[in-house]
Amino acid sequence: MTDSRPVAASASPAATELGAPSGDLATAAGHANASQQARGGVAEDVGAGLFLIALAGVGLWQGAELDFGSLRQIGPGMLPRVLSLAVGSCGVLLVVRSRLGAERRLARWTLRGPLFTLGGAVLFGLCVRPLGLVVAGPVAVLVSALASPETRWREVGVFAVLITLFCIALFKWLLQLPIPLCPFWLGY
Amino acid sequence: MSDLIANLSLGFSTALSLHNVLLCLLGCFVGTLIGVLPGIGPIATIAMLLPLTFNLEPTGALILLAGIYYGAQYGGSTSAILVNIPGEATSVVTVLDGHQMARQGRAGVALGTAAIASFIAGTISTVLIAALGAPLSKLALWFGPAEYFSLMVVGLACAVVLARGSVLKAIAMILVGVLLSTIGTDLETGDERLTFGMDELADGIDFAVLAMGLFGFSEILRNLDDPEPQGDVVKGVIGRLWPSRADLKQAIGPILRGTGLGAVLGILPGNGAVLGPFASYAVEKKLARDPSRFGKGAIEGVAGPEAANNAGAQTAFIPLLTLGIPPNAVMALMVGAMTIHGIIPGPQIITKRPELFWGMVASMWIGNLALLVINLPLVGIWVRLLKVPYRLMFPAILIFCCIGIYSIGNKPSDVMFTALFGFTGYTLYKLSFEPAPLLLGFVLGRLLEEKLRQALVLSRGNFLVFLEKPISATLLAVALLVLVVALLPAVRKKSEEVSAA
Repeated sequence: MTDSRPVAASASPAATELGAPSGDLATAAGHANASQQARGGVAEDVGAGLFLIALAGVGLWQGAELDFGSLRQIGPGMLPRVLSLAVGSCGVLLVVRSRLGAERRLARWTLRGPLFTLGGAVLFGLCVRPLGLVVAGPVAVLVSALASPETRWREVGVFAVLITLFCIALFKWLLQLPIPLCPFWLGY
Repeated sequence: MSDLIANLSLGFSTALSLHNVLLCLLGCFVGTLIGVLPGIGPIATIAMLLPLTFNLEPTGALILLAGIYYGAQYGGSTSAILVNIPGEATSVVTVLDGHQMARQGRAGVALGTAAIASFIAGTISTVLIAALGAPLSKLALWFGPAEYFSLMVVGLACAVVLARGSVLKAIAMILVGVLLSTIGTDLETGDERLTFGMDELADGIDFAVLAMGLFGFSEILRNLDDPEPQGDVVKGVIGRLWPSRADLKQAIGPILRGTGLGAVLGILPGNGAVLGPFASYAVEKKLARDPSRFGKGAIEGVAGPEAANNAGAQTAFIPLLTLGIPPNAVMALMVGAMTIHGIIPGPQIITKRPELFWGMVASMWIGNLALLVINLPLVGIWVRLLKVPYRLMFPAILIFCCIGIYSIGNKPSDVMFTALFGFTGYTLYKLSFEPAPLLLGFVLGRLLEEKLRQALVLSRGNFLVFLEKPISATLLAVALLVLVVALLPAVRKKSEEVSAA
């Protein structure tokens, strides 16, 4: 159900089952495994359980004033409340289960990737109306490029301009989408 | 029989309109493109292109998106053969023998075999869909709200089982998805539910926003965290593209067996299509006269799995188009796409909108033909594209996503929400949750609640109605059986072992 990356790692047990060599796939899988078991810290399932409990809490809090209704006439509040309770119980079960057995440690979170990538998207959202695609496009590309340590600045600078021009051609001219192009100068 | 012919001719006349043929070709091209490129998959792409299909009419939009899906299967094998990296989850097995064949200078033969296998599998699957479509949807006459509800429960239960990893976490994800679907204005009473007082949420979470955040953005974040391993691009001669007569003779058996396996597994909810190639490889190895050839460039190891994965991709449409139940995350996106275009997925599609159903079936075959014809000459382009570094690719993906999202409603808040869901998707990944069941739950959530309410109103509050009606009771029993099987130690151990690596 997930996309290509995790399954590339899971080729390892399947491949060894089938008796075929899978050198670099196996080492990639082993590497991921090792980093998750080496360090101490919060057990992953505890983190997962707490996450669910928090979600359930928010659901119950927001749905508190809604009319519950009866079985005969289900009110708007019934499903949100029942579901929040169910999610919360899953969370509790996860925490309990992780206390009982061996489990994986919480994987390390990086800040750089999400911050700059999502930051680039947010900045795009903020810039597109007042400043148009000509500004929002390069901003999104340049800010998100900060997320990768492999970025080469001159290359990205040129790329930002080229890809914005490509997007303008594709989305504004070809597909006629009503996105602001350059409101402060051209007016549209 | 004559019905079938009449229906197929309706389908072909719809699919062969210039507009739809172009969309089909575009879909196959884009699909192969993203299948070849490792950083991005069909789910993220379909999510990205959803808003852009708003202006198309529904049949065309679905043809385009479907083309992307099965085009990606083919693109994934190209990458697997040439670069030793599976472009898609279903191409993992093709890496084993396909790349070895490439190393021996037989890359062209491998690619050609994969294309032919996919085409034959696609043709047979298309016939299957056509044959099964009408009978399956006649079942719909028996379905009232209670039966629909139970059917959706079965679909979700199967999704839980075949999702890799923890069953409990998958169940939790489905519940969260349904919970998210309740956000917005309640249809019956007009109350605002779970909106945090925000106007933007009054209409609920936009499907495309959720999909793009959970799959598109979070995939970028995942790849940045865990860069794809660099493959070794096969340099030098690709060799002749067409397999020889002897090769074809060796390949035909695996192709047919692979098609059978893939077709059956693809119908199963929960992404059974991914299992097809593995099953086919194992079967071929057992049946081969000389099993030691496998892993060193045996053509059966490419032909069988490729047929299986294409067959699986096509038959995955059967539960979607006939019953309205999406068997995997991509089909869930299709449900979203249909809903956006005002089509209610379900058995009535085939009766109320026959040109949509038969048009899609016909265009799947056309798409397979297109893949066979256009892709082999384009191999050179794919190889060149594989050399684009990810540090340039992901800002491009990001800007496409942002523009796509903004174009939905011209609301900057949509982009913000997508970023929020992107972070949520990243969180889920770090906590070993899978986002696909969440999307399935979200998509089915509204329908689930509506059917639940209708059933209870009709039965005057009698909750046992789900067990009193025979079809509904049978379906719920199946769902329970499926969950019990999932929790059996043997099955669970295997699935967790596969996902733990």
